[in-house]
Amino acid sequence: MALGIWAGMLGVLITRPSRVQVALGGAWDEKLAVFTLFVGLLVSWLWSWWDVRRTVTPGRVGVSQWDLAVIAFSRNRTAVAGLIVVVALYLVALVTPLIAPHGPNVQYDLVTMRLVGLSAEHPLGTDQFARDVLSRLLYGARISLTIGFVAVGISVSIGTLLGSVAGFFGGVVDGVIMRFVDMVISFPRLVLLITIIAIFEPSIFLIIAVLGLTLWPSTARIVRGEVLSLREREFVQAAEALGYPKRRIIFRHLVPNALAPVIVAATLGIGNTIVLEAGLSFLGLGVQPPTASWGTMVAAGRNNLLDAWWLSTFPGLAIVFTVLSFNLVGDGLRDALDPRLRS
Amino acid sequence: MNRIVLLSVVTVAAACGGGDSGPRRTVSNEPFCQQVMPAVDAYMAEARAAHPTPDDPRYGGTVVVGGIGELADGMNAAVSSDYQATQHQQFVNLMTLIDYDENGEPRPYLAESWEVADDNTSITFHLRTDVTWHDGEPTDARDVAFTFETVTDPVTAFPNAAFWDHYVKGPDGVEVIDDYTVRIHMQPHAEFLDPFRSVGIMPEHLLADVPREELKQHPFGTQCPVGNGPFVFFSHDAQDRWVFEANPGFPQALGGRPFLDRYVYRIIPEQTTLLTELLTQNVDVYIAPPPDQAQRIIDDPNTELLRYPFRNYVFVGWNARRPQLSDPRVRLALTMGTDRQSIVDAILQGYGTVANSGVPPFHWAFNEELAGGIAYDPDGARALLEEAGWVDRDGDGVRENADGVDLAISVKYNNGNQQRQDIAEIMQAQLADIGVALQPQVVEWATLLQQINTPDLRDFDGVVMGWVVEFKLDDMDLFHSDRIDQPYAWSGTDNPDIDRLLEALSATVDRDEAMDLWAEYQQVIMDEQPYTYFYFPDRLDGVSHRVKNVEMDARGEWLNIREWYIDPESR
Amino acid sequence: MTTYVLRRLAGAVPLILGIATIIFFLVNLAPGDPTLLLIAPGVTDEVVQQMRENFGLDQPVHIRYVRWMAAMLTGDFGYSFSHSRPVIDVIADFLPNTLLLTVCALAIAFVFGIVLGTIQAVRQYSAMDSVLSVVLLFFYSMPSFWLALMLILTLSLSARNLWEWPIWFPASGMNSVDYDYLSLAGRIMDRARHLVLPTLSLSLVLTAGIARYMRGSMLEVIRQDFVRTAQAKGLPERVVVFKHALRNALIPIITLVGLYIPVLFSGTVFIELIFAWPGMGRTLVDAIFTRDYPLVMAGTFFFACMVVAANLVADVLYAVVDPRIRYD
Repeated sequence: MALGIWAGMLGVLITRPSRVQVALGGAWDEKLAVFTLFVGLLVSWLWSWWDVRRTVTPGRVGVSQWDLAVIAFSRNRTAVAGLIVVVALYLVALVTPLIAPHGPNVQYDLVTMRLVGLSAEHPLGTDQFARDVLSRLLYGARISLTIGFVAVGISVSIGTLLGSVAGFFGGVVDGVIMRFVDMVISFPRLVLLITIIAIFEPSIFLIIAVLGLTLWPSTARIVRGEVLSLREREFVQAAEALGYPKRRIIFRHLVPNALAPVIVAATLGIGNTIVLEAGLSFLGLGVQPPTASWGTMVAAGRNNLLDAWWLSTFPGLAIVFTVLSFNLVGDGLRDALDPRLRS
Repeated sequence: MNRIVLLSVVTVAAACGGGDSGPRRTVSNEPFCQQVMPAVDAYMAEARAAHPTPDDPRYGGTVVVGGIGELADGMNAAVSSDYQATQHQQFVNLMTLIDYDENGEPRPYLAESWEVADDNTSITFHLRTDVTWHDGEPTDARDVAFTFETVTDPVTAFPNAAFWDHYVKGPDGVEVIDDYTVRIHMQPHAEFLDPFRSVGIMPEHLLADVPREELKQHPFGTQCPVGNGPFVFFSHDAQDRWVFEANPGFPQALGGRPFLDRYVYRIIPEQTTLLTELLTQNVDVYIAPPPDQAQRIIDDPNTELLRYPFRNYVFVGWNARRPQLSDPRVRLALTMGTDRQSIVDAILQGYGTVANSGVPPFHWAFNEELAGGIAYDPDGARALLEEAGWVDRDGDGVRENADGVDLAISVKYNNGNQQRQDIAEIMQAQLADIGVALQPQVVEWATLLQQINTPDLRDFDGVVMGWVVEFKLDDMDLFHSDRIDQPYAWSGTDNPDIDRLLEALSATVDRDEAMDLWAEYQQVIMDEQPYTYFYFPDRLDGVSHRVKNVEMDARGEWLNIREWYIDPESR
Repeated sequence: MTTYVLRRLAGAVPLILGIATIIFFLVNLAPGDPTLLLIAPGVTDEVVQQMRENFGLDQPVHIRYVRWMAAMLTGDFGYSFSHSRPVIDVIADFLPNTLLLTVCALAIAFVFGIVLGTIQAVRQYSAMDSVLSVVLLFFYSMPSFWLALMLILTLSLSARNLWEWPIWFPASGMNSVDYDYLSLAGRIMDRARHLVLPTLSLSLVLTAGIARYMRGSMLEVIRQDFVRTAQAKGLPERVVVFKHALRNALIPIITLVGLYIPVLFSGTVFIELIFAWPGMGRTLVDAIFTRDYPLVMAGTFFFACMVVAANLVADVLYAVVDPRIRYD
């Protein structure tokens, strides 16, 4: 994988030197792209070096749970494939300003260049406004991935906090929080999303916020379950006996141990969120144009499915493969972290 | 285990298969409907016996028409404004006093003849005597009087109240002279017959006792309408389909019963699905496909595409109350900086004409000389903007005025409408070239309505909207300064020339006299540029070869539905 | 057991009331109200005001809330503006259609999910296991509306026009136009044909999830001692799997019913829109866009009730089926 990253970054550098130079003075996301490029080169080189060094030194004493999990994960080929795709996606998303052949919103001549099929100039065709589909796909990756990542990030944070508090304190606190959790879970999530977004104006911030705020209950439940079972263990009792403040016990002892299923849920959640965002765009409640997200691209192209099939198909495939990769990673993590499922 | 599987399979099969195996149709449980529908059934039985189907192979068959929208408010002509619903009222289930021929000239329908008083202050209609409601009651002058009083009463909230501006409203405006003669009073004004082409006559004997403010919620409209037209209402499954049957008792002089046995209108919200249904011959007529699907319909051997100029147009309304937009030169520059012809070619695939005013090109009032309109002229636009004081002072590509305020304009449009979104996006790209920062903003429909229609609010710079005109053109609600605080005065126009012309035009009865005024009006509109008019899209319809004798034009899709027939070969 | 059920039921009541309250305030605090859609130039302010009064919109929010709550508790859900009928009638019309779709989709998803999951577990690490995993995940990762559109294009349009298969499926609707004229057998066939594509779109996504859970569950059960005992006794594999392992593996799957029902209801919105299925999901979305408050509140309320009920049933079933579980 390191080799792949290294080769990819170098490839970009070699094939687009002028672009890189321009980007150095460009907008912040372009600077970020160049930064990523160099950091990627550096990190992959360093990693290969460390990897080689590690196998040379004699074996260490004992193997931690973490190592066991890593080994189990790396044995699962599909999961590793998924991980590679995910990492590649995020890197590509960061470096997009450098590799996209055209700007995402550049409209070429509306009369001649509209709805042109796959060609050398436009490998994935053009859309109704003579914009390059490939470039929009790449820029759309950033939007969709960002939405997924941030929304899940919000929900995991809130869910972990509330779940651990509920599990640790029990009693009334637990009761109240869990009632609230039940309420939000029983809601048909899509209806809530539609209502809120239809009422206020659809913007990317609102979408992320609402997606995040409707996803946290499942995380909270998971964390609460884990905390409940962990709470009776000796190390927690020891910590309590030592007189550590409750906050420290929660955050430094309980939460890290409860994280495993949370990570699994988060990975699966990102995939789910991307699909939901596509669904919202289908109803016309997604990100506002001209910003491209995969969901809006699929929605905008759906009347042309019979002729200009490339408009909906490529973003649709992109969604499927991205979500698939996230799910593979999540599955692999679950298999690796759960000792009962390893054979 | 096996028993459980067997049980679940049987349950599933029963659930999935069990449907209504009861009576032929389910009547709504509203007391009104329970009372009315048996009378309709009785009438139908009688009419079938009295008028047997002629021995002509064209008679028979079912036609399915598919559209994406439900017929809001159904057959209730007093409250509905939805285009497809009104079409059904005019041509399918109800009857109007007159209708138009291909040249836009009025011809008799429910009214056999009419006279206009010499001073143009009244019309006397002589009604046909052989028309009956679908429950057996004859249609007479009292129905017309009832309809007129109802739609002119503000309590009813008739959506096109502008129709009746120059009529004497309420009971004073209509006189029942005898059973089949009725007189309507008005002030002399233009196109005074037009409202009688679009408003269907409603049954007085069924609805007279209903309080007018409750008419909108009455089950008559969507659950059990009783009309007097060529098709009798059979059933309505909400959001799914309307079913009508041929009326055997329809007057012989008007052609007798329609050729079709049944007519079904299906509601399919997703256009790809609708196209598939047309191509797999589950739907015979596809109402208003988007231009991108047109080629598919043309290519398919079983369908053809009907295309004709129509009377709706799309425009961007500028709110002249906003400081950046108060100068007509700015608005003119915005229009000049947009390549509208290429937008028509791109978005509409050429199925449309660029518009420069609210007068459709096929209309008699259209001024041919102005057909060229405002050309796409980015340099001219830039010059105009400079002249108006908008110059790019800080080199960021966006112009500012003397105070340093950016020429930033937001354009709102409602979600779910791909064409309006397309317009906003293209405008943004093209106007960026001349130094204008146009920001498209999608707003949900109900919220958008509130923002643009509330007189004190007017929370928008520009809005992409569509407008359907009747044959009687009347921009009073849009541009007259007296109505500047009414909901539709989006542009906030206060131009004495426009006021004068609008008033003159609505009072001028003679078309030849009006022609000069119309020419002047269109020129003044171009100078004032309250809107950037985009285009008059051609109306498209996909029709299966199975259905014969379908005529469609600006009057509507259903205009001769009683003359459609199914090709006997393909029954 | 009974006490548990009663306690859950008692707990469900405030839950449902809480949901109803949230819905009410969310919808009513939105900008824009139903009368907006009626505003036209000739419509004077008095008329609009009258309309507002008719709909009860002129009262302050908290009074409306109290009134609405009181009405709801007596079963009066109000009047739908956009349908011009009492809300109860509207729901009675559309809910069964959605339920039909949901139940069929659930049934198919469970049957196929269980079968596929079992196959995967019994043949763990084989080629079939990996292939099935990827294929199932592929469908799980697809947006349901995309899947629906693809299905229409392949199994409806292309099947009939392009490839000329003997069997193809209608792209929309619940039944054909001449449904009323068919015999009973004809009607069942017609319904079934119309159900295929929508159910497939809904259930394929669920099947993958259920198959995965089933696989995990079976794997756990297979490793247990009693299975090994059965194998050691020399029983044929089929007996071991079906008679012994499967029953125990099915237990946690029951809880999935409760988990998947809200997902299912959300998914029906897209399916109903694309297949022109006259169901509750589509009606609810339309009601939100037209600010038809009573319908939105009643519809969401019903959905939430069904979810709560499904969860309760799942939990009870779980306790009934698994003797190890005791709720006190």
